[in-house]
Amino acid sequence: MNHSHTKRSGLRGVWEATKNYPVILIVIGLVVIFSTLYTKLFLSPVNLTATLRQFVTLMLFSIGPSIVMLLGSMDLSFIGIWMLGSVLLWILTPVIGPPALLVFPLLGLATGFIAGVVHTKGRIPSFILTLSILITYWGLTVVLSGGYPRPVKGYGFITASVLPRVPTPFLWSIPIILAAIIVVLRTRLGIYFWAIGSNEEGTRLAGIDVDRYKTIAFMLSGTFTGIGSIILFEHLGGSAPVEFNMNNVVRPLVAIILGGTPLVGGTGGPHRTILGVFTFSILYRGLYLSSLRPEVIDLVVGLVLILSVVINSRGARMKGVDVT
Amino acid sequence: MVDKTGAPILRVKNVSKTFGGVVCALDDVSLEVYPNEIVGVVGENGAGKTTLMKILVGIHAPDRGEWEHNGVVVPFPRNPQEAARKGISIVYQEKGVIPSLKVYQFLFLGNEEKHERRWGLQIGKMKQHAREILEEFHVQCDIEDFMYDLPLSTQKMVEISKAVLRIRLEQNRDTTDSVIILDEPTAPLTIEERRGMLGEILRMKSNTSFVYVTHIMQEVMEYMDEVVVLRDGKRVGYFDMSAQKATEDDLSRAIVGREILAQPHEKGPHMDEGGEVVLSAQDLTTRGCYYDISFDLHRGECIGLFGPAGSGKSEIIKTIAGLRSNDSGKLLLQGREAKQNEPAHKRLSRGVGYFSGDTANELLHDWPITKNISILNISKVVGKFLRFLRFKAEKALAARIVEQLRITTPDVNTLISSLSGGSKQKVTVGKWFEKNPAILLLEDPTIGIDVGSREDIYQAVLSMKRKGMSMILVSDDLKEYSTLCDGVLLMRQGRVTERISVEQISEVLKS
Repeated sequence: MNHSHTKRSGLRGVWEATKNYPVILIVIGLVVIFSTLYTKLFLSPVNLTATLRQFVTLMLFSIGPSIVMLLGSMDLSFIGIWMLGSVLLWILTPVIGPPALLVFPLLGLATGFIAGVVHTKGRIPSFILTLSILITYWGLTVVLSGGYPRPVKGYGFITASVLPRVPTPFLWSIPIILAAIIVVLRTRLGIYFWAIGSNEEGTRLAGIDVDRYKTIAFMLSGTFTGIGSIILFEHLGGSAPVEFNMNNVVRPLVAIILGGTPLVGGTGGPHRTILGVFTFSILYRGLYLSSLRPEVIDLVVGLVLILSVVINSRGARMKGVDVT
Repeated sequence: MVDKTGAPILRVKNVSKTFGGVVCALDDVSLEVYPNEIVGVVGENGAGKTTLMKILVGIHAPDRGEWEHNGVVVPFPRNPQEAARKGISIVYQEKGVIPSLKVYQFLFLGNEEKHERRWGLQIGKMKQHAREILEEFHVQCDIEDFMYDLPLSTQKMVEISKAVLRIRLEQNRDTTDSVIILDEPTAPLTIEERRGMLGEILRMKSNTSFVYVTHIMQEVMEYMDEVVVLRDGKRVGYFDMSAQKATEDDLSRAIVGREILAQPHEKGPHMDEGGEVVLSAQDLTTRGCYYDISFDLHRGECIGLFGPAGSGKSEIIKTIAGLRSNDSGKLLLQGREAKQNEPAHKRLSRGVGYFSGDTANELLHDWPITKNISILNISKVVGKFLRFLRFKAEKALAARIVEQLRITTPDVNTLISSLSGGSKQKVTVGKWFEKNPAILLLEDPTIGIDVGSREDIYQAVLSMKRKGMSMILVSDDLKEYSTLCDGVLLMRQGRVTERISVEQISEVLKS
């Protein structure tokens, strides 16, 4: 959570920070290991730019789900929103021009609303519900696009270079990330999300309409994914994708959990996800530079997921959430 | 003392509430609270205390009843916010705390409006306000502490402060006449913590009134100004503790509704008479729950573990049942050492059964009585050859138990879900009665059921005991210990503090 108030001078401050964010140690460790292994390559401008590009992709996909996971729920629909949105953009751009970009946030908002309402009113577990939405959207994408990737022209300005070496999508993502952090740390929504994840019954007893705020969380998630997809669409090639890639679903989740938002909810948030995404990007780039084959990299990613889930759930247990 | 010349700040009259058209939870109950007083509400489990409290804070709507404010009838609140606007707020027995929030976040949870501006919360102002509140109510913690880090008593004080704060925020005033409902606030606390908290509550009385639900007689005698007794949904007693000196016996009689006959207690084999030891616990320890628990259980004996919630009694019994693990210590069953962390089905095969009054977990609700009984006694209802189920045997077995325990049901094939609470509990007892394990662990065996069913269950349990079954009892009902147990281990904060005989239990009741 927001620890800016506990800032202390010198070593003490560093110690506090690492205690609250142990993942920092992993980041430092990884940087040291990879820069000694590949002295020239790892710290080269090309690789740093590539790391930032990787960071943007993961971060924009992770923001939405990391809000929903605060409540102890799950939102997997984000890839679906990106895929279906892209194909709708391909259909709409010739008709209405650049305003067609709005299809992303609108689709996200609508998806979040539907997921939230069905989840709360229908008492459907959010994992299976959003997974179904994801599969449905994928199917729709393939049907609408006829099964071929469809390039969409005219949106190159989104990624046009502004600063040398810094990918423009990274600059775009900063205000989006900040907005998500403000929502969670500076509004009552954040407190309610934490409260619901920590003790749903108690939150209800405090007179809070839990179902309403759950729906709001899903809507926020969808909207953030939608806004992020505007950038990701161009960032990831500027065409409507039809290939479903499991990595796109799994890696953001790994990053969120690495950052310290547990699957059971109650703590964490987008600000912690930044750290998780950063860690994952460095790890991934380091592995990428090595001579490992892509399948092996996937294997390592899987192991990291298992490891972080285990550490994560231990941490949650140690906090003794079982309080009467 | 309490000034009754003015108007009461809360007056409800003739409140009735029926659930599902059948169960009468409250029948014509009235309650008055004057400024600066503590009104105790006592009664057995299921007497309607909680229902009344939930009506007062707008969670349930009453079927009938009047809410009077300064002599004018006003509608009942429809939700906790409306109740707070009327000056009433509640601290729940449990589940009220949100562990992962910080103290200042928790204090304002649900009432952030005052510190909300267009661009989000003014966290600095919130913290300052929270600091003032903690100071005002003498709560010993920092606003940045996480709730899960605080001791239980401090958590409760934060909850009480939150309740007062909520009324102030909803009414948009800084001080106000308010009524805080406390539902067994001291149940999980130690004696010292209790004293500290009740001291604070007495101090707060200068500008707040309390409705105080409790089972602890000592608190009633020492701290309450008035006491209302509920039984079976009716108001059956009222005592003005400042004017007349009601004795504890008067209260107990009103609560139970009859003379509490000193039941002729059946003596089991005495602990030091050296009967056969069937279970021996040696230095059982689970860090954070209980430490160095040692005792012997003899054949036909019943030992009670008694202490407040959180004393570790429930965890110990679950450890013996194989439902929880322990860190260290030995457990001997019939003289042979049981493996640590053996699962429950292994323990059962060694003759340790676990019976909880929590029928939601004990029974299969969509199944008929017959299956619920035969699931535990499957060897008695399968054929000798090929081990197929024999439905006739199943039915006969269930019919026998239904008769023995006087279970009210149209048929042995009736689904569990359509039985009353008492009958469900009897089915659970019945299946263990038939299983007849050497050791039966009882956890809250009669929780939430009526007096008649309770007697039937006690009879069944006592007859099992007479046949030589050994038992360990954990309960929140002290009378249960005097009815069933031969000896009681008093527990506090995970340790056995004293071992007392059954005759001494009634003295514990008073202290």
